[in-house]
Amino acid sequence: MTSFWPIYKRELFAFFVTPLAWVLITVFLLVQGMHFFLLVDHFSNIGQQVSDQTPLQAFFGNTVLLYLVLFLLVPPMTMRLFAEERRSGTIESLMTAPVSSAGVVLAKYAAVLTTYVAMWAPTALYLVILRQTGEIDWHVAASAYLGVLLVGGGYLSLGLLTSAITKSQFLALVLTALVILVLFILGIGEFVTREGTLMHDVCAHVSVWAHMNDFASGVVDSRRLVFYGSLIVLPLFVTVRAVDAWRWG
Amino acid sequence: MISVDHLVKRYGSKVAVDDLSFEVDKGEVVGFLGPNGAGKSTTLRIISGFLGLTSGTVKVAGHDITRESFDARGKLGYMPEAVPLYPEMRVAEYLRFRAELKRVPRGERTTAVGDAMAKANVRDVANVVIGHLSKGYRQRVGLADALVSNPPLLVLDEPTAGLDPNQIREVREVIRELGKEHTVLLSTHILSEVEASCSRVVVIARGKLVAAGTMDELARKRRSAGLNVVVRGNLDKALSVLRGVDGIAKASLARTAREASAQTPTNDVDDGSVHALRCSWSKKLDESATSHTTELAIAALVSAGLFIREASPLKSSLEELFGELTGASSAEADDLATDSRAAS
Repeated sequence: MTSFWPIYKRELFAFFVTPLAWVLITVFLLVQGMHFFLLVDHFSNIGQQVSDQTPLQAFFGNTVLLYLVLFLLVPPMTMRLFAEERRSGTIESLMTAPVSSAGVVLAKYAAVLTTYVAMWAPTALYLVILRQTGEIDWHVAASAYLGVLLVGGGYLSLGLLTSAITKSQFLALVLTALVILVLFILGIGEFVTREGTLMHDVCAHVSVWAHMNDFASGVVDSRRLVFYGSLIVLPLFVTVRAVDAWRWG
Repeated sequence: MISVDHLVKRYGSKVAVDDLSFEVDKGEVVGFLGPNGAGKSTTLRIISGFLGLTSGTVKVAGHDITRESFDARGKLGYMPEAVPLYPEMRVAEYLRFRAELKRVPRGERTTAVGDAMAKANVRDVANVVIGHLSKGYRQRVGLADALVSNPPLLVLDEPTAGLDPNQIREVREVIRELGKEHTVLLSTHILSEVEASCSRVVVIARGKLVAAGTMDELARKRRSAGLNVVVRGNLDKALSVLRGVDGIAKASLARTAREASAQTPTNDVDDGSVHALRCSWSKKLDESATSHTTELAIAALVSAGLFIREASPLKSSLEELFGELTGASSAEADDLATDSRAAS
């Protein structure tokens, strides 16, 4: 595992020394800022009317913007992780150093997850702004951010896997977007299939939409934790196997 | 330092390396020679631990490359073909990253990077972004990378490929210097490369070992390709006698040293002219057969009444020897080359 730190640092360096990370973060913050502004505007207009949700809940749950942004931003974040190294051949010098496949995979994943967290970090300011005008349920805020971390972590893990199974960054990008889309569409299936059928249960179980609504209202369900735990760990495991498999190709 | 024992590597049904065995001893600079697509890169990738092997064993500094991969990889510095580097990093940054990756202790990293840059002669570009470097510099940064953990063994895949003659000379000088402290295995398809930098050579073709030894040993394998004779006498007579000798395919005039003169004709055969003639053997003959044919040719000339002034074997050049040893059909070589590219 001694190979973890140097690779982690290099990956972060590679992210932030190229314009890609800055472009993605800017786009992300623009969209989220707009989203927040519209929400605050909406809540201030309905005035004293009783609402069944708070701005915080509306920001994280019951919104398509969260998934749209992840759908657009996660694939370009993960696409280059392995595909670029395989295309340019740097993977050869990387893997001939005394490093373990697991160390390499985890370091790359940790680096992209760190970037993801850095992307979300400025949104904590919104809480500070909301705090000026009213109460904030910090438990809800914490569970909402946990949800964001888990959903994003799962997507990034899938993105890392697709980057490892192809030499083309573009193909990795398309594959990751496709997987995220399929997961989302399965979630919609919860509303279109009849209750009681197996399909309905499956759809309900993988519905990111429902998951985020739970997290946004402060519900941390252990089924969700298990689901996202597997969504993170399984692709990582397969990625390690894929990296090992190249040398037998 | 390296012991390769009955190494086999298959890509699907294609055999890239076929039962290859050779050794590299400590302190040697060994050239790994073969035409493109002979399996050189595949073999070096296996030695460096990047590719797995199908069967056989490879040991680096006594460590089995599959079972003790970490120890083995720690003992060697590998420079891949085409020298892949991260273009966005500066040279010193990159080498520091590589030093950390190769487990150079924190306190020694700065010295290690400095030493490697000095040895590979890249100090002047320490703060240049790698993407902006010329090919020659990139090649030397690759060398510095291989050197940074000061490994006892260096494995260099075509270190001078794609360089201009000046850069080739620079890289060769660096390699010669490195050879004093490190064991070096370098691959190339250029023969003069080996002559310039290597103490020993291993030649492979189509994945098989075809020759191994010092350059002198290899040079001795050069077969005589024919015979040079200088005779005094009638040209046509001499040529027809030589063509009649069993084992000689072609006999031709190389040059005429002295023209026939009308004043001193002694007889039909000896007209006083002197000719240098060149004969080539009709087929690949082994050493004793060529000696025998030489004797036959001389005896035939003498008994025909001609006078022999000189006779010397016509040696093939090192290039011809290389061609003879490897003799791969180009189609086969191309096939293998595409194959190993597809697999990487």
